[in-house]
Amino acid sequence: MNKILTLAQKELTGYFKSPVAYIILIVTLSIFHIFFYMIIEENREATLRDVFLVMEFMFVFLVPLLTMRIFAEEKSGGTMEFLMTTPTSPTAIVLGKYLGSLIFFSLILLMTGVYYALIECFGRPDRVAALTGFLGVWLEGALFVAVGILASSWTRSQVVAALSSYLILFMLYFSASFIKYVGGPLQPVIHYVSTSNHAANFSVGLITISDFVYYVSGILFCLILTRAGIDNRLWR
Amino acid sequence: MITVQNVFKYFGRIPALKDISFEIGRGEIVGFLGKNAAGKTTLMRILTSYLPATSGRVFVGGKDVDKNSLAIRRYIGYLPETPPLYPNMTVREYLKFAAQLKDVPVKHMRSRIDRVLDDCRLLYVQNKPIAHLSKGYKQRIGIAQAIINEPELLILDEPTSGLDPVQIQQVRRLIKDIESKRTVLVSTHILSEIEHLAQRVLIINRGEIIKDESLKGLLAQGGAPPKIRVRFKGERDRVARMMTSLSFSGQAPISCDGETHVLEMEMGEGVTPNDLISPLLAAGIQVLEVKEHPLSLEDVFLRLNPPQPERADE
Repeated sequence: MNKILTLAQKELTGYFKSPVAYIILIVTLSIFHIFFYMIIEENREATLRDVFLVMEFMFVFLVPLLTMRIFAEEKSGGTMEFLMTTPTSPTAIVLGKYLGSLIFFSLILLMTGVYYALIECFGRPDRVAALTGFLGVWLEGALFVAVGILASSWTRSQVVAALSSYLILFMLYFSASFIKYVGGPLQPVIHYVSTSNHAANFSVGLITISDFVYYVSGILFCLILTRAGIDNRLWR
Repeated sequence: MITVQNVFKYFGRIPALKDISFEIGRGEIVGFLGKNAAGKTTLMRILTSYLPATSGRVFVGGKDVDKNSLAIRRYIGYLPETPPLYPNMTVREYLKFAAQLKDVPVKHMRSRIDRVLDDCRLLYVQNKPIAHLSKGYKQRIGIAQAIINEPELLILDEPTSGLDPVQIQQVRRLIKDIESKRTVLVSTHILSEIEHLAQRVLIINRGEIIKDESLKGLLAQGGAPPKIRVRFKGERDRVARMMTSLSFSGQAPISCDGETHVLEMEMGEGVTPNDLISPLLAAGIQVLEVKEHPLSLEDVFLRLNPPQPERADE
């Protein structure tokens, strides 16, 4: 556990030592603020439902930028060999890196908590729906981070890592839009795989086991694949 | 300390190591010598359990690397060919990170880092970001992380590659200092490196060990007699004629060095330096200096490992 925390701390400090992280943080929050203002101004409703939709959409583009360096940088800089020759298990390495990225992502989400405070000041929002909505976005983001880390473990190039993440996330996020063009037994599969369908339930205050299982199993699946990918010992 | 038994390693269909077997005892300092792409790094990666062997067995400290990789890594300090550094960390932050991953007890962490900073002469730059330091410093930081857990086995892959002569001297001195009480395996393609650092030499070529010998033994046998260097004054042509008539083996040309001449010859079997010098003195040649010139490791290496056309897979 100590090593997981050590690696998470290293990842987290790595973000704050890089100007890229600050730029991402400022740009993302600025876009969120603009959309929040436009949505509230347009709807005149004390609800964050549409804000959550914008956040999910933005995270599809943002998260690969946060995760692309996680393993790709270690591989290109030769530090992967260092990590894998210390008495640290590959599982701890994957979990530590995931935790560091997840905390950074959570910090960004935490900063959007101010929107809830604002609508609470000026209206009577559905508190449960707002909280579950945040939970839904957080779980979806946690899945995106896991996908990004998996893609980063495949390559030494951060650009390739980001593009691979985009490919997978676009398929997961936008697949719901193509359901009407697909018939037969594939339709329920695509419906289940689509991340936006699961997040939609959370944003209206609905927590189902199926949605929860979807996110948790998706995260575990990506982390297990990442662990298998980085461990040379599995590949003779 | 290390036992390697019939290790093969293939990358796809390309063999990187072919039937490698050797043993290294506790406290030995072994030089691993070979040209680029000979298989040195692959073998080191197998010893550190970073890569698995395709077949064969490797034991470190009596434990099978395949079955106890995490336990074995506690014994090992490893410096890969490129020092594994995080440019945005300071030297101290990096060593602390390495110490935490290498299970250095919390109560000893601070003192251990201080000692390693001192041993590797990094105290002055301990709070500087690694990105701002020279290559020589970076190499020393790489060595510092390798010894932070006080490993019994130290594996150094090309520790002076890419350094300038002053930095090479510094790193060599550092390795000499930390060699004591440890088993050390140093790989290099720089021959003089081994002469400075190791007691025993393993020469690897195209994935096979072609020589396993003590440094002294290797230099002594080397497949050729030692050389002798005679500096003399005047009558160069006469000496050349004498050498021909004395029919020494491996006759070498006489070079000119200012007013004096230098004769360099390989001594044939059963021939002593006296057999060469006595006729010169008897002929009234003014001999200024006689020096036995031992074969360098480079001479030996080139004899064992003659240049060959490069293979496509290299």
